[in-house]
Amino acid sequence: MANITFPFPYPEHLGIMLPEILLAVLAMALLLWDLFVPKEKKGMIAWAAVASCVVTLIALLQLPAGDSLHTFYGYFVLDPFAAYAKVLMIAATVLAIFLSLDFMKDEQNVGEYYCLMLFALLGMMFMVSATNFVVMYLGLELMALCVYVLVAYQRDVLRSSEAGLKYFILGALSSGMLLYGLSFIYGVTTDFMFAGIGEALRHVEDGSRLAVLLGMLFIIAGLAFKVSVAPFHMWTPDTYEGAPTPVTAFMSVAPKVAGFVVFIRVLADAFPALQTEYTTVLSVLAVLTIGIGNVAAIAQRNIKRMLAYSTIGHVGFMLLGLIAATQEGYSGAMVYLTIYLFMNMGAFAIIVLMRRDGIQGELLDDFAGLARVRPGYALAMGLLLFSLAGIPFLAGFWAKFAVFAAAIHSGHIWLAVYAIVFSVVGCFYYLRVVKYMYFDKERVAFNFIENPVMQATVVVTSLAVVIFGLYPKPVMAMCSAAVSMF
Amino acid sequence: MIEAFFFYVFAAMTVLAGAGVVLARNTMYSVMWLIFCFFNAAALFFMLDAEFLGIILILVYVGAVMVLFMFVVMMLEVNKARLREGFLQYLPTGGMIALMLLIELIGASSSGVFDNEKVAAVGHLGAEVNNTVEIGKVLYTQYLLSFEIAAVILLIALVGAIVLTLRSRDDVKYQNISKQVNVRKEDRMKTVKVKS
Repeated sequence: MANITFPFPYPEHLGIMLPEILLAVLAMALLLWDLFVPKEKKGMIAWAAVASCVVTLIALLQLPAGDSLHTFYGYFVLDPFAAYAKVLMIAATVLAIFLSLDFMKDEQNVGEYYCLMLFALLGMMFMVSATNFVVMYLGLELMALCVYVLVAYQRDVLRSSEAGLKYFILGALSSGMLLYGLSFIYGVTTDFMFAGIGEALRHVEDGSRLAVLLGMLFIIAGLAFKVSVAPFHMWTPDTYEGAPTPVTAFMSVAPKVAGFVVFIRVLADAFPALQTEYTTVLSVLAVLTIGIGNVAAIAQRNIKRMLAYSTIGHVGFMLLGLIAATQEGYSGAMVYLTIYLFMNMGAFAIIVLMRRDGIQGELLDDFAGLARVRPGYALAMGLLLFSLAGIPFLAGFWAKFAVFAAAIHSGHIWLAVYAIVFSVVGCFYYLRVVKYMYFDKERVAFNFIENPVMQATVVVTSLAVVIFGLYPKPVMAMCSAAVSMF
Repeated sequence: MIEAFFFYVFAAMTVLAGAGVVLARNTMYSVMWLIFCFFNAAALFFMLDAEFLGIILILVYVGAVMVLFMFVVMMLEVNKARLREGFLQYLPTGGMIALMLLIELIGASSSGVFDNEKVAAVGHLGAEVNNTVEIGKVLYTQYLLSFEIAAVILLIALVGAIVLTLRSRDDVKYQNISKQVNVRKEDRMKTVKVKS
């Protein structure tokens, strides 16, 4: 900062931003190329988007991921934590594009759909690499703007437009809360680098304490909105139900990864001095979230709404890792996010596949008798649901195990017991779907989408759930390596 | 002294205008109140020696954004009665949250944050300091990354707005110029043998 020279100096380590730069350029090129692709061949854009993701992934993997490197005056960081989160988000984007292949092919302006997904990925990549609130907020807005448009993409469907508008208004409100909290923190510390705030808050006078707490509360509330923590979860069920199903799958996974990484960075880097205070706040939020998510899901008849509430429940479990505030806890949250990615993407892939005469198979009744019609899908869905419920020796069990163990080790035994009780309650609505599939007679005629890529997605995700369930070691080792700097 | 007086005048008017935006029954009046609010906020910027921000606020927000707002409001037929529906139903909860926030905010701001020497006692800048130059110096160096991300956000806003509103209509006949130019004699003319 001290000696700025003109013309603009070439920043050190610009190379660590290569994945973002490549993704931005490719997404913009795709936007242009889309103009010249005739309507029948729009599938090419989807594959080009997948290729862009792969290029970004390769660029990311060839970077030295061992230590944390900064560029742009320390505004952008590449450390193992960011790199791991980016791999997860790229995987989620690719899977979401696979799910969209058939779903979106009849829509207008398909090309922009895939471009917006890439730009959302770009925003999330900036979020997880942010070391300060400015870049974090801008990344967040970039991601959120893309997702608002994606949610409202089927603009002739009333539900979709309604969902988009609701998400937009509540998202804008939560951004306002986040910024308002930031202004308080900035007023007291005159800094917005996470590390600088953390340092300044260590020796803050008693007079400013109330303002700092208020700022922290607003920031937590703003972030809680983005990852749908109760009582800031109201937008989730409506938005998940109304959005096109592939978009629901995308937004239930990728932004959650980005949101949790930012949450962890903010708590661990900016607010370590306020740990007692934020633990109380987060504990209340976690209790509410776990309760509301798991109980409200029971009453849902629409599977997308049910999965929305189930997402809220899972987010509550992930919060336990943040409450533990240890390396083990953060690693547990990352394990949870990794496994959740595969479970949720698989479940949504099957929902997308169950399309009959243009109507989505979204009601729970539509799953009745699936085992007789399509035993393969029923088996995959059963595995994924068992895993979501946390039945032992499937991946979901280890995810829950990781966060519960971390919570217990850091002394939050009652919270862990509460979470275990509600995860048992949660089993009910997952197993109910299994009961519909295996023990009920079919009530509607199925008309499945036959798309090999989507079927492969189902196979891959269910295999991943089984393999991670039997060999959880590698995932857990990767996650603890990713959070080793905390 | 006189500075404090003007600060309180502008600050009070900003708050008043903000209340006006929410409470005005006519949407058009709300927009007008918002413009008034922006003017007062710009005045506050001027008092902090941030003339550039003040002018930008008036030029961009009042000059462009709010005018656009007015057009949109004029084009939408807003049903006032329906807007008021459920007002009393939400009043107790909403009012309680608002009251709690107000108490917290007053508590936070009166707890001594603003007594902090280095924050509160910012003197005026000298006449030789040029606002625009200073902002430019940091905007294109230290904040370059943020600036670039903001540019991408604008691109997305553009693409998103077009994607959500553009529809290709089949019932409209467009003039296809290249088709017109490329038309050949054979396409339009037919030689018909007429019996004589």
